[in-house]
Amino acid sequence: MQSPQTLSRPLAQRVENLEAPQPPAVMAPTLTASVVDAAVTALDRGETHYTDRPGIPEFRTWVAEHLRERYDVSVDPSEVTITCGSTEARYVCMTLLAPPGSSVLCPGDSARIRGALHLSGARIVDSIEDDVSLLYITPDVYRETSIELLQRAEESDWWIVYDLSFAKTDPPFHPAQNPKLASRVVTIDSLSHHMAGWRLGWMAGSEMALRLRAGKQAITICTTAVSQWAGLEWVRTAT
Amino acid sequence: MTMNANPNIPDEVRAVAADGTQLRYALMEMAREMDDVIALGRGDPDLDTPPHIVDAAKAAIRDGRTDLTPIQGMDELRAVIAEHMRSVNGLPVGAENVMVTTGGQEGLFLAIQALIDPGDEILVPDPRYTSYDDAIRRAGGTMVSVPTNREDAFNLEAEAVEAAITSASKALLIVTPSNPTAGIVTEDRLRAIADVAIRHNLIVIVDEIYGKIVYEPWQHFSIGSLPGMAERTITLDAFSKAYAMTGWRCGYVAAPADVIDAMARIKQVTTGPVAAVSQWAGLAAISGPQDCVAEYLQIYTDRRAVLLEGLDRMGFAYGEPRGGLFVWADCSSTGIHATELSYLLLNEGRVLIFPGTAFGDAWREYVRITMLEPIDTLREAVERMLPVLERYRV
Repeated sequence: MQSPQTLSRPLAQRVENLEAPQPPAVMAPTLTASVVDAAVTALDRGETHYTDRPGIPEFRTWVAEHLRERYDVSVDPSEVTITCGSTEARYVCMTLLAPPGSSVLCPGDSARIRGALHLSGARIVDSIEDDVSLLYITPDVYRETSIELLQRAEESDWWIVYDLSFAKTDPPFHPAQNPKLASRVVTIDSLSHHMAGWRLGWMAGSEMALRLRAGKQAITICTTAVSQWAGLEWVRTAT
Repeated sequence: MTMNANPNIPDEVRAVAADGTQLRYALMEMAREMDDVIALGRGDPDLDTPPHIVDAAKAAIRDGRTDLTPIQGMDELRAVIAEHMRSVNGLPVGAENVMVTTGGQEGLFLAIQALIDPGDEILVPDPRYTSYDDAIRRAGGTMVSVPTNREDAFNLEAEAVEAAITSASKALLIVTPSNPTAGIVTEDRLRAIADVAIRHNLIVIVDEIYGKIVYEPWQHFSIGSLPGMAERTITLDAFSKAYAMTGWRCGYVAAPADVIDAMARIKQVTTGPVAAVSQWAGLAAISGPQDCVAEYLQIYTDRRAVLLEGLDRMGFAYGEPRGGLFVWADCSSTGIHATELSYLLLNEGRVLIFPGTAFGDAWREYVRITMLEPIDTLREAVERMLPVLERYRV
């Protein structure tokens, strides 16, 4: 029999205009001996089962401590979810925080959220409109722009996603430092620069944290166990 | 028998009782706070991933073969999966028809996103694995239940499928062996269902994640192998259950090439490729010796006998569990609502099971129990459950 090439019915309309997959970027990570040992030791320990849905507690605790130490932002480990790279974190946030038909205000490069929003049915705008539900910013957005938009956010009910994962700069500034905004800010970060093929990211904070966790669980249940243990060693020893 | 309509359950359980997935997680969270719980809830095999698979992953880690892979998965893994699905399942597929996914659940999510538009109906046998509800809701699809019953061992009837079809029907979702019922859809029924699917131009999404865990004399059969079905069948599978690899998050999908292309476009913006180390483990699992699968099946067969004997002592009825890792048992003889019964067994017996209501609103007289503990532990679970049942039986 011939292998099937075409489905007997049309595909979903949302597939149209989605970009074709790109070849994998060559990140060529050089793992330290301790990360390799941590991964191998985890396997020897039998860490081959589902982890806690939001991720192993040790990693979530590290994320919370990192946000406090680096940015003076308070997030409880229970508000942290370990994801399959920052890609999954962005998709979950875009679909749960930006309803179909609403606008996502993105003053910088929108390339990393374009596909997720195409699927969810929200649209990207670069200036303030009436139906904005979410502000997506990265540390690379010119700081004055961010400050101005965050001042507007104080007067609105926008969710704010602060994406650190591919930032070229890492200023100590963080929108959740503003107590009026903290409950509406989700921080996204990842180990994509260092361990891209292990697929490790996280999303942290906001009063939506538990719903975001459930959103991740519905797609991939949990993040690869051995990746989490390897990543934990990386962040503990390399940061 | 009428179920107790006033279940004495705590607020954290009551608050999520209408959402099957959240109900299961609420019970698991409660169990985590307790000491000495025998967990017969989650479908996570207690057995270890076989050593040759773990060794392959360790070698990949030590060799640094952990960089990003193509979104569809490593070429060598896709090729081996295609060969496996041709030779074992009879599917006429090549590597271009295969995609590696972050576990079986993501396979379903991607398939639904690729196929279902808002307003489309998808036929789902009842009871169902409610973790799939979110994917269908997210795509704007509407679930239409197709009844199954204990007297028929929860086999699926073509007539019931056809009766549920409307002009909006686009797909039929089959899970065989079934989670939660442990029923299988037999070859004769699948042939009849295939006829219905072809006549009505239905897509069939079939989850075969438990396909290697089928108890004698029953056999697994893949509907995608039937004439006229390859171009309308999406077959989901994963390494998680048969090879005890839940934590690796590695599954796969076989489908027409245009579906695989669409799923890859979606996966690129939703989760990215599967972790490389997991793909090397998957490659070892599917291309290495398969003795472990047979060994694990024998273990589950022995456990199933012990669990069924215990259920007989409890006065629970059940459809014959023909495959998978669960027993779907009728607890109506207790007169206790399944949600309350699950809570009582956890709180007073320290045994975690899931109520049937976690798998469909109507299943308040059923519970799902896994066989994912050693035989002695299963016996201990039965001994713990019996006095709780006697205490509360209506």
